[in-house]
Amino acid sequence: MAKTSTPFLSYHEIQVGNIDIYDDAFGLSQEFSDVFNLLDQLKPVPKKRLTKLLIERVRQMN
Amino acid sequence: MKKTMTDYELIEKFVKGEQSCFEELIRRHKSKVFAYISLYIRDQALAEDLFQDTFLKVIQSVKCGKYYDNGKFISWVMRIAHNLIIDHFRRVKQLNTVSNDDYESDLFNSRKLADENVEDQMIKRQIQKDIRKLISELPDDQREVVILRHYSGLSFKEIAEITDVSINTALGRMRYALINMRKMMEEKKISLTFN
Repeated sequence: MAKTSTPFLSYHEIQVGNIDIYDDAFGLSQEFSDVFNLLDQLKPVPKKRLTKLLIERVRQMN
Repeated sequence: MKKTMTDYELIEKFVKGEQSCFEELIRRHKSKVFAYISLYIRDQALAEDLFQDTFLKVIQSVKCGKYYDNGKFISWVMRIAHNLIIDHFRRVKQLNTVSNDDYESDLFNSRKLADENVEDQMIKRQIQKDIRKLISELPDDQREVVILRHYSGLSFKEIAEITDVSINTALGRMRYALINMRKMMEEKKISLTFN
């Protein structure tokens, strides 16, 4: 192998954590980036107070 | 490097008495579950109740030995959330109470950015309201896939399992949903007016 060759990556080194192979294959993210950019403006997340309350209720259950 | 425990490992430890393991599961999955519920239920207080009920039901089921690991913990949790939402709508239908559309409360926690002026915040809120409307106007099957994929971050494989359809059908629904939303964006002239 020449010194300038691209290092070979083993299967487990390939980072595919957040990639859905079907989504990727269909190219939805690229084709509808405008729609996804708009959808990204909405970030429904539970308030800290709610998470805290839930954890307290879980502790009471045990 | 510290190894991250799988969902099942956390469940096993929780069943054996390690309380903190379930808390880790809550932290790991809370946003996915909350996003799913809050995009269906417009009443914030009710969405918060269902969010808590989902995790409490998960605990009951886990303790009764109703969860068997197949690497799909989050899919199972989402199915529980889905059933609780369906139960809620059934109750509402039976009681013939007011529609959820009557609620105008803003469900989404807007980030309080110090450098945002009032006008920016108003525009942001309007855009969020528009997005909500876009999603609500989609046919049920398309809406579900958009929420599960984009807001709950599930894979198409997981979505196919939860909704009892093939992966191709789930992908097709997503595609139609995106086409429909783009069309509505054009018709209603909805676009991002800030960065």
